[in-house]
Amino acid sequence: MQVTVRHLAAACAALFAVAIGSQAADAQALDRILKDKKIRITAEVTSPPFGILDKDNKPTGSEVETARQLAKDLGVELELVQVTGPQRIPALLSDRADLAISSLSITTDRAKTVWFSSPHGALSIVIGGGKNVNIKSAADLAGKKIGMTRATLEEQVVPKVAPPGTNIVFFDEHSATQQALLSGQVDAIGGAAFLLNELGKRNPDKGIETKFTVVTAFYGIAVKPGNFDLLQWVNTWVFVNKQNGVLAKIYKEHTGVDLVDLPNL
Amino acid sequence: MTYVFQFGIVFDQLPLLLEGALLTIRLAATAMVFGLAVAVMCAYLRTSGPKPVRVLVAAYVEGIRNTPFLVQLYIIYFSLPALGIRFEANQAAVVAMVVSFGAYATEIVRAGVQSVPVGQVEVGLALGLKRFQIYRLIVLFPALKVVFPALASQFILLLLGSSVVSAISANELTAVANSLQSTTFRAFEVYIVATVMYLTIAVAFRGFFAALYWIVFVRGRER
Amino acid sequence: MRFFSVNDFLFILAATRWTILLSLLAFALGGLLGVLVAVLRIARFAPVRLAAAGYIQLFQGTPLLMQLFLIYYGLSLFGWRLDAWTAVTIAYTIYAAAFLGDIWRGCIQAIPKEQWEAGRALAIPYLPQLFLIILPQAIRIAIPPTVGFMVQLVKATAVASIIGFVELTRAGQLMTNATFQPMVVYPIVAGLYFALCWPLSVWSQRLETQMQVENASGRRK
Repeated sequence: MQVTVRHLAAACAALFAVAIGSQAADAQALDRILKDKKIRITAEVTSPPFGILDKDNKPTGSEVETARQLAKDLGVELELVQVTGPQRIPALLSDRADLAISSLSITTDRAKTVWFSSPHGALSIVIGGGKNVNIKSAADLAGKKIGMTRATLEEQVVPKVAPPGTNIVFFDEHSATQQALLSGQVDAIGGAAFLLNELGKRNPDKGIETKFTVVTAFYGIAVKPGNFDLLQWVNTWVFVNKQNGVLAKIYKEHTGVDLVDLPNL
Repeated sequence: MTYVFQFGIVFDQLPLLLEGALLTIRLAATAMVFGLAVAVMCAYLRTSGPKPVRVLVAAYVEGIRNTPFLVQLYIIYFSLPALGIRFEANQAAVVAMVVSFGAYATEIVRAGVQSVPVGQVEVGLALGLKRFQIYRLIVLFPALKVVFPALASQFILLLLGSSVVSAISANELTAVANSLQSTTFRAFEVYIVATVMYLTIAVAFRGFFAALYWIVFVRGRER
Repeated sequence: MRFFSVNDFLFILAATRWTILLSLLAFALGGLLGVLVAVLRIARFAPVRLAAAGYIQLFQGTPLLMQLFLIYYGLSLFGWRLDAWTAVTIAYTIYAAAFLGDIWRGCIQAIPKEQWEAGRALAIPYLPQLFLIILPQAIRIAIPPTVGFMVQLVKATAVASIIGFVELTRAGQLMTNATFQPMVVYPIVAGLYFALCWPLSVWSQRLETQMQVENASGRRK
């Protein structure tokens, strides 16, 4: 029988069908992690002090160290999945990561797509800018250009308090938002208070300061819906490390601030 | 847990996406008009200018064609402010696109110019026309006719390449899609709809250019 | 604030190897797939031809960034658990295959009909005709535009930085973030891309000129 193009095409179609059809059987998440001896956790590297690159350009930060501690307590190897802000949840949902430990503030909107653990940290969202920018409260935002990163808590809350006439611009990445502020492309940015403090410290000549607080929030560890066993273990881990002060130690080390009392979910 | 597609959520926001599509078209069209002007000028300088100018244009073209558009965009938006040149996001996008399209189009127009038979240029010289007049009146039209398909293809590339300007917060279709995705978390549905919109725009423009070619170069020239 | 130091430059330089690796992988795998696409594109069986044409139109007519987003976020819906490298490699392979398939299809069609007819006269079936007679000649014509596309591919890898994939452009972003000196970092990044792409561009132009000279002299081996 001669091999014709028709045969080639049929072979391709068959291969394609097989490839599409093969679904990875979803073993229970925690069992799989323990069997593989590896857990994959999201890590941001442009979100000080939660996730940064140290002077040797290796990931560190309060959330990254929390992830390291969790993996150690679980007794498995840690694989850090580097993500940008808007990718934290998608990485979880597309199974590229088992846990999202990247300062994901707990909101009811997000709870529609991911499951949160009890909070393990707290932050406040502020508006910050150079000292020559006159903003004292939300009303002063009118007529100014405010930058922020997508898929963050600030993206959700700032537009609600900003008066009409505020020009809000969105970036896909924390580093772009920070760059925009430092190069004067925007008048101010919305972000975690810690971030603005870091920017202020690192750029003394620009005089970046916090203008006003928009909202405070707790953040937690997120899992993909359906992974009950993993969520249960994570909650237990958060509880234990709240009691023994390890969470507070990591938090204070990177943020310089004492961890407040964390409520349970 | 199997995924449930929810296109309804995306279709609710169709007006927003259409607005984004219009912005993309406007952005690309503006960049093409100015980019073509740059190209016509540079093609002339590259073929008929003094040596230092020719080298300068060649350096511009090679520099742009051998570096990614995204990096050029970052330089224009993030690096230039350090020199005191500050473009707002949408302006920076247009500037970057003009600079980029201009470089590619310069090469295309130059190829067209060099394909015009030398005899035509000699006629112009015999009639006592200056170099630039020869370029403008005799050479340009046939050159553009020859390379029109290549320019049309380059425009489609420009249009599709414009999707990365969302990275500096410029406003267009991809930016709208990103916004939608981050609020609804329906990444797949949002991006499929946006992709279909881009495809439709690209196909529509191909048809538009085919029609334009016929109107300007075929029918218009029939005597 | 850190001033841009040698360490940071080395970080950027190190990331260049990911750009090179991704480009090579996409070119190799996309090349294999591209041959298939080109062959199917000229098939005598109409549905196959249309499917190949549709594939080419789809991936040439949509933004690369959208393709990246869709593959990055979408493949997991089929139950695959993919890491960043796999997803990105698949996306660029599919992208490269569409363009290479189109280029190579054009080169195959540039081979005169007479070559096919000679094969048929010798009772050689279709596929051996294609692979033994036509393709070797088409490959010669295909080299200049293929090398030209390699330049496009290297530049295209920069888009992956937007989804956080660590390659040269992303390294630039990270270093800018650490040092707050975009005026130094991004031009260096551009320079590195230029160093990668320009030699390829020059080579492609030289090949094209060579080809024109050979064709003009009437030799067509």
